[in-house]
Amino acid sequence: METPSQHSSTLAISPLIGNRTHDTIRSTPKEANISQQSSLHNSSYNLTPGNVGNISDVSAADRLRLWRHDALMQHHYKTAEYIGDKVLTLTNDPNDAFWLAQVYYNNGDYYRARQLLSRQRLDTTSVSCRYLAALCLMKMEQWDEALDIVGETNPFRNASHKAQNTDGGIKWEASLCFIRGEIYANQNNLERAKECYTEAILVDVKCYEAFDELVRNDMLKPQEEWELLMQLDFSELGDNDEFIHQLYVTRLNKYINQKNQENAHFILKEEYSMTNNSDVIVSRAETLYVQCKFQKCLELCEEVLKEDELNFATLPIYLASLHELRAKNKLYLISHKLAEHYPKKPISWLAVGIYYLAINKIPEARKYFSKASSLNPNFSEAWIGFAHTFAAEGEHDQAIAAYSTASRFFPGSHLPNLFLGMQYLQMGNLTLTSEYLMSSFSICPKDPLLLNEIGVMNYHKGDLSNSEAYLNQALQVSRDIDSDSKSWISINSNLGHVYRRMGLYSKALMCFEEVLRVSKRDPNVYSAIGLVYLKMGDPGKAIQNLHYSLATGTHDPVAHDLLKRALDENLSSKCQEEFFAKTSREALTFSSATKTPLMNRTKHVSKSNTLNDSVDQIATDLINGADSSDEDDDDDAIMDIESD
Amino acid sequence: MDVEELRQNLRHSVNLLGALNLTRAAKWAGEALVGLREPTEEVETSVKHKQIHNFETLPHRESDCMMLARGQFNSKEFSRCAYSLRKCQSPQAVFMRLHSTYIDGDRKREEESQGILGANDSKVTNANAPHVLKELSSLLESPQYSDDPFLLYLYGALLLKQKSTELATETLIKSIKLYPFNWSSWSELITSITGLDEAQLILHDLEVHFAHDFSALTMVRIGKIVIYQELFQHFEQLFKDLQGLLELFPNFAFIKTQSALVSYHALEYQQAENTFDSVLQQDPYCLDDMDTYSNILYVMDKKSKLSYLAQLANEVDKFRPETCCIIANYYSLKCEHEKAIMYYRRALALNRNCLAAWTLMGHEFVECKNSHAAIESYRRAIDTNPKDFKAWYGLGQAYEVLDMHLYSLYYYQQASIIKPHDRRIWIALGQCFDKLKKVEDSIMAYKRALSLSEYIDLSIVYKLALLYQTLGQEAEVYANMRTIYVEEVNTEHHSDETAKARIWLARHEMKQGNYSEAYSYAVDLTYGTSQEIEDARAITRAARNKMNN
Repeated sequence: METPSQHSSTLAISPLIGNRTHDTIRSTPKEANISQQSSLHNSSYNLTPGNVGNISDVSAADRLRLWRHDALMQHHYKTAEYIGDKVLTLTNDPNDAFWLAQVYYNNGDYYRARQLLSRQRLDTTSVSCRYLAALCLMKMEQWDEALDIVGETNPFRNASHKAQNTDGGIKWEASLCFIRGEIYANQNNLERAKECYTEAILVDVKCYEAFDELVRNDMLKPQEEWELLMQLDFSELGDNDEFIHQLYVTRLNKYINQKNQENAHFILKEEYSMTNNSDVIVSRAETLYVQCKFQKCLELCEEVLKEDELNFATLPIYLASLHELRAKNKLYLISHKLAEHYPKKPISWLAVGIYYLAINKIPEARKYFSKASSLNPNFSEAWIGFAHTFAAEGEHDQAIAAYSTASRFFPGSHLPNLFLGMQYLQMGNLTLTSEYLMSSFSICPKDPLLLNEIGVMNYHKGDLSNSEAYLNQALQVSRDIDSDSKSWISINSNLGHVYRRMGLYSKALMCFEEVLRVSKRDPNVYSAIGLVYLKMGDPGKAIQNLHYSLATGTHDPVAHDLLKRALDENLSSKCQEEFFAKTSREALTFSSATKTPLMNRTKHVSKSNTLNDSVDQIATDLINGADSSDEDDDDDAIMDIESD
Repeated sequence: MDVEELRQNLRHSVNLLGALNLTRAAKWAGEALVGLREPTEEVETSVKHKQIHNFETLPHRESDCMMLARGQFNSKEFSRCAYSLRKCQSPQAVFMRLHSTYIDGDRKREEESQGILGANDSKVTNANAPHVLKELSSLLESPQYSDDPFLLYLYGALLLKQKSTELATETLIKSIKLYPFNWSSWSELITSITGLDEAQLILHDLEVHFAHDFSALTMVRIGKIVIYQELFQHFEQLFKDLQGLLELFPNFAFIKTQSALVSYHALEYQQAENTFDSVLQQDPYCLDDMDTYSNILYVMDKKSKLSYLAQLANEVDKFRPETCCIIANYYSLKCEHEKAIMYYRRALALNRNCLAAWTLMGHEFVECKNSHAAIESYRRAIDTNPKDFKAWYGLGQAYEVLDMHLYSLYYYQQASIIKPHDRRIWIALGQCFDKLKKVEDSIMAYKRALSLSEYIDLSIVYKLALLYQTLGQEAEVYANMRTIYVEEVNTEHHSDETAKARIWLARHEMKQGNYSEAYSYAVDLTYGTSQEIEDARAITRAARNKMNN
């Protein structure tokens, strides 16, 4: 139990105290009839106007109850326990027993609360007591007993859908469904957990906890999420129905139905002026993240964190975008802050792990990811990070095991399958790669990185036309959503390689040129351009580009060998003829140089096949077995130069 | 009238370029302005040229930010400058923001590279460049920014660094067409041009574009002489153009330097020296291009004058790359190569793009027998300026030392494409082809070398003869040997080749049975190794015997 500071506690209570003379705050329902389940209510201050006008009118027992309630609200648990016990002895009212159990629960005395409830046999007769009893057992991690109490299925299934709530509170049936889901989740039965959560939110739309669990953990596939939202009944919220509906929309995944999201944001902004609400901002940030606009996403997250330093709804997306942007220093700060203030929250250790991953200290990163996942075994981000550490070290089998776990927890996210596909691609198992990538594709068909990966896979399969199609699609998508230049570069250069293998050299050159325009000076790109020129029969330009490649300081054996090839080619009689012609033309008088000089360039495009074959051969010899995916946890696959 | 308009334009450009923190271009424009011919009489002209970037029309908030940013830029707080401009929308503010972002990346790169030729020198790249490029390319698509000459200039300059040369050239031309008075655009454009054909096309295009604009045409003329100078051209029209410009800008050191360089390339060293002297006389504290002057003095072997220049530069400013280059040249002339290298390094640390220093440092490394370091410096030289034939030639030599003839062939070829009139390169090429067993090509190269020589170089002729011999073309061998012989008789100059030629000719005639010819070839052989003289005597005896029989 985290106790809020004294200050905030009084702040919360003070209005009640001020109002006490006007509206009596009833800690317990007056008509304490235990058999009437609906009257037992966990909303703390049940206002029954007109019942009691003045504090002096209240009976002695009720005064004690008020005292108990005040003490509970002000976290004076000893007082509450002492007084609650006395009231119970005085009245022997089951309602008072329930409230005493509440006091125990709040004080962390789960065992005593449970004992009290079962001694009074309340957990069999009252839904609310059953709920509290199950909660106690869950706190004590006695999952099987807890499941016994709540039942394996919803006993009210047939009735509860229709059951109208009389007082507008959250239906006990929904809450029960929710904790049933939690129990199943803890027992690793995620399929059942998902069903229970869904049931909970269907029974009562106010059961946000269940909705949050479903959405936050990506338990549903994107399409299913939207379908679920359609089924929800917001009508009982009265005037708030539209408001809550739109808020829920903003919580859904951002892969599909972009229009609806925008619409929801528009309504929230126009009618409810919710623009600056943290959750709405986070939803916008999530949209940006999916679109790979990490910098803007980070800015939004920081806007939220400015108001609320450790806003837990923001942190996962904040950490993810910091990781994408390699903002080591900020990661360091936030992980320190988290570890200091919330050493028991898994997200704190996730942050530490991400920091170590960012500074490339893999063993430490693994240690903290595993700490995070031991604090919450269902914490899928931690699992993915854990897997990344293995992937970074090239331990494919262990990485696959960890990704698979994440994939089980995260059926609604395309990422684990994408990573699995990447691992298999690196291992050269194209069948499994295809399987995982396509299943990832079925979840999210719009991720440029995924499309890139599929393109690479097809390239390796030798299915160049398909590869081209996917890469073009990736390019299209990344242009639509304006993703950052890094992914765009790798897609473009991959496309260049595909065109190169298809023999469309001028197209390939265009792609590589595009890459050059925005990337840093990447030796691989220059080598690729060199290879293309070599195949086009222009050893001069090939040599030039291979030089650029080697000048960037990497001692790439491929580039060296290609350079040797090109220099050999340069010695061929054709090139020498050209050379002598060129120099003599320029050596002639100045004015004659205006003659069209370009004729030499295009003439020899069609080279003898023997040359092409031998160049290919050398490239293959060199690269056979080399990884094609430059694997990195941000999932770019950059093909090395590689030939048929 | 035209001149006044040019003056107005230059005046405006000094302010504008200064306001945009293009300090080097602003300095250039200022020098041009002051160097312009004095007006004959006071004439009032209004600037006809389209006003670009009028700062007064900016919203107050924006121009305030610009002023703040300028101060930060000038105190070298580049990231802060960019941050201050983050919300500004006007093209000039965007230019300044991106420009300072890029410079900031360069500065960081410099810090991480661990010095010239350090461990990380070639691996570290400007981390900000991709963002800046990406933003520029998307900005230049929108109509608000697409015709801003300065954004175009920045884009072009960055593209050039990325080696995306064609687009870079195109972009820079666009920038110049919109605003011809930004010398930075010109110098980037000049760097991007590698061939004569290309240069002619571009200059023609610009001349047509500015057909009736005297001021802009003047800029094109200046650009033209620089381009032709860098391409080692020296033809009649160029000298005339230079003369015209010198008359228009009698006090503009830049034009004078160019004219000195043209003289230098035309091997008129004295002329070049005089021109530089006059530059120094007129502007004693000018260090710009003085490193080139020191090169000329080096070539002329004027030790004392070079020493004087070094002292002078050292007094003006010790920490200018030019000064360091001059001092390095001085040490090099004194054969203190280690010290020379140290000063070149210092020059490069002060300005990485100091073109000459890379090449010259390469030469020094060659002197120190450090081929790998030499290769690395030559490569950098080419990386910054692919038109530097000395660097190409140096690379060829360095690889020749390493016995990698395939490589050195390519470099010699590049050098000769840039400077086809240089016989040294052709001889080197001939040797390379020979080593690579390309006899026909080798013959072609040697013939080219021969045709460029002012006198008949007997060693080349002898090599040609040997090459023909490997091809088994007796007649050609005979012709070449004969040339050597005739040359020897004419000049009465004896050398190893003449002795060898005589012996070959004598043996040849013996085989043919022309004993008297053989005798006359062999009998006069007096210069040569003892073996050769011995052989000659043997032939003489044999021939005499045969003749007597």
